[in-house]
Amino acid sequence: MTGREARAWPLPPVAVPAAEPEPWPGPRPLLDPDSRAWIAALSGTGATREQAVARLHALLVRAARFQLSRRASRLRLRGESVADLATEAADDALVSVLAHLHDFRGASRFTTWASKFAILEASVVLRRRVWKEREVTLDGDAFFEATPALADEEKREHRELLESLRVAVAEVLSDRQREVFVAVALNGVPIDLVADRLGATRGAVYKMLHDARRKLRTHLELPGGAATL
Amino acid sequence: MLNRLRRFRRREERWQATFLRMLGPEEPELGCDECFAQLDRFVELEAAGVDAAEAMPELAAHLRGCGACREEHEDLLAFVRERGQ
Repeated sequence: MTGREARAWPLPPVAVPAAEPEPWPGPRPLLDPDSRAWIAALSGTGATREQAVARLHALLVRAARFQLSRRASRLRLRGESVADLATEAADDALVSVLAHLHDFRGASRFTTWASKFAILEASVVLRRRVWKEREVTLDGDAFFEATPALADEEKREHRELLESLRVAVAEVLSDRQREVFVAVALNGVPIDLVADRLGATRGAVYKMLHDARRKLRTHLELPGGAATL
Repeated sequence: MLNRLRRFRRREERWQATFLRMLGPEEPELGCDECFAQLDRFVELEAAGVDAAEAMPELAAHLRGCGACREEHEDLLAFVRERGQ
């Protein structure tokens, strides 16, 4: 039995916020009956809240396990199981959900809103595991040297296109934009990993990628790519 | 010969698609944080059979441009659909 399994629910998996939650700020949003019941129980005290937190944790474990199982082919687990990673992700998600409870405005059902935290945590855990032993390369040489198997005429067009992109990446982008674009867009490094490497948030890295793409599209006189696919 | 040409064409189209995808969406798009904040709503619209991309075009554009958010969107939608069954 691993450490994770040893501290499985109903023992508190992580530091759950205090049993006396803060008063709800302002008027409560209009919610569907099920979501209202969740919020009431999680905002309450005593046994009612404890039971609701336990049910919430179980939901988050299911969501995390679903995500990890779905992407299991990318996992190379060594001494750890999907269940362990799911519990780890659910523990972190539980803390986030409880900390952000007041942000829930009822735009969806509470269970959908809460599940996205578990999916996010599981995705991040998975991407970090998958890339743990892989090189996070910020160099675009391999990409620009690769030539797909094409007919001669297409090969020539391919090389011209690639050369235009290579020159644009070298000349138009700032150093940081180049690092981000090459890592994420060319080499397929997950944006979380690049954010970790640069000590930035995922949102900040995506903004750099967005700005780099816009500069390149303008320079290459190309429309937005993904929009046309 | 015809099959070889078709095979080359498919490779070329795949490569062009990859090239264009690298350059991301041209339309206005959300950032990762805003995408996460609204993702549950987007997914429930989809699960209900509503055209979520039309209702929330900036989020849809971000999903085309961001591989990590796209992956999380696919997994949340699949989870919600499974729970709804």
